[in-house]
Amino acid sequence: MNGVITGLALARERLRGNAPPIILSLGTLMLGAIGRLERQSDAGSAPDDVLSGAAFGIAIPLLAYLVSERACDGKRLDHSVDGVARYGTNRRAALVGVLLASALSSAIGGALLAIGALFGAHAPHSTTLLSDLRASVGIALIAGAVYALFFGATSLFGKRGGGRKWALIIDFVFGAGSSTLAMPWPRGHVRNLLGGAPIADLSQTSAWLALALIGFACVALSVARTPE
Amino acid sequence: MSELRFEAVRHAELAYVNAAFNAGTHVVVGSEGDGTSTLIAITTGMFEPAAGRVRLDGVAPWSHAATRRRIASSCASEVLLPARDVAAAIALALRARGEVRSGKGVLDDAGLAHFAAKRVSALTPRETRAIALSLALSHREPALLALHDPLSLVGIVQEDFVTRTLRERSDAGAIVLCTARRMEDAARLGGEASAIERGTWIAPAYAQPPLGAVTLRVHTPEPRRLAARLSEAPDISGVEWAGGHELLVHGSELERVAHSVVANARAEVIRITALKADAPTLEALAAARAALARAYYERSAATGSATRPS
Repeated sequence: MNGVITGLALARERLRGNAPPIILSLGTLMLGAIGRLERQSDAGSAPDDVLSGAAFGIAIPLLAYLVSERACDGKRLDHSVDGVARYGTNRRAALVGVLLASALSSAIGGALLAIGALFGAHAPHSTTLLSDLRASVGIALIAGAVYALFFGATSLFGKRGGGRKWALIIDFVFGAGSSTLAMPWPRGHVRNLLGGAPIADLSQTSAWLALALIGFACVALSVARTPE
Repeated sequence: MSELRFEAVRHAELAYVNAAFNAGTHVVVGSEGDGTSTLIAITTGMFEPAAGRVRLDGVAPWSHAATRRRIASSCASEVLLPARDVAAAIALALRARGEVRSGKGVLDDAGLAHFAAKRVSALTPRETRAIALSLALSHREPALLALHDPLSLVGIVQEDFVTRTLRERSDAGAIVLCTARRMEDAARLGGEASAIERGTWIAPAYAQPPLGAVTLRVHTPEPRRLAARLSEAPDISGVEWAGGHELLVHGSELERVAHSVVANARAEVIRITALKADAPTLEALAAARAALARAYYERSAATGSATRPS
């Protein structure tokens, strides 16, 4: 348990600073602006368009990527905990701490981005704003967390964690489809939860489970590939 | 009793290290280019050696957290853990070690309290190493203290604090493994000295001057007659003739061998057309350098103990 707390503390120190809140604020404002533009062109479909396009399609995966990169100090996930492992902390426990910290930060950041997008896409006194917020924030929380775990685990591939970059690209390319090829990547399941085309006709409940499974598999893979 | 063992280790500059260390102080003389920094780094368990094994009490620190917890180390290049200030970085390292202590207390003990509130990024590399050294020396019950050139940090850290703490840990049964670039530092650290030369480990017992290591190539029109004469010469340990006009003459000192060859050729009126010394092997050079280093070390240790005030 001490190792997990140490990993959490390590990631918290790395995520501290002025850059993360500035980037998050700018992202939220930008999504708000995009939502407003969408509303001006078609008020009816603006919330759906901004959420499935700019927010969940681009901003949340990018945010999770940046959070994972920063929490790991730009290194592979296992090497990112070498600093504390040297003093006797179990690497596996410490990396679980780093993954938890990055998942939590990404989840909160993702929720803020979704809120910004919805506030832009809805008219100020819209009656559907609250219900949209309720549904989208929940999806943003899990999407942010799963993406962060996904990028953390994939950083274990490649000498310098290059797997993380490839994962971002592969998610964009393969996750965009609806075939079984899209199954292992978070994108298609998130799209399903937002009301888009499902992967292999999976229900929305299955999409929630699939995302949870991807997150769990990422943690298990990270632990299995790292020495004590 | 603890034992640190390197089994046929090859990693970066380290070409081949096969050595064992028991409780007590051990100083490895050599430069970073020779592999001293890598030796300490792989001892800490931060890296897995590319080949061979490093074991502390039979367990590889690389893959065993509890073993790493018994190791205190300071490397050639240090990076403190991320934190607001130096005291917080040390507190995080102490937490990683499973100790509940204040970072300021560790700095206080080493006389480095003035660094406590400083930002980690504002430290010079040497200051960072000094703080890492103070953290290593703060370990209360280490099985192994692996320190890279600790006396090079004197000026920031008090020499008396370093040597006293090392003596205490060594007396308590820990293995104290230090590297030193200078012989004077090795003498001040005390303990058993060995050397590392171009990545090759030279244990104290083998660091002796090479005998019969000089070879002279002699070209003459009458090699058989000269060989017969030289085989009885006292300064010549061996003569080889494989046909042709060249003789290989072996001895222990180049000048004596050359003098003997010329004197015997003159006495027999044999013409010498060329005389050339063979370059010694790298192993012979390494052994000679280590022997020299050890001789300096022993002399300075003897002088130090003779002149030390009672």
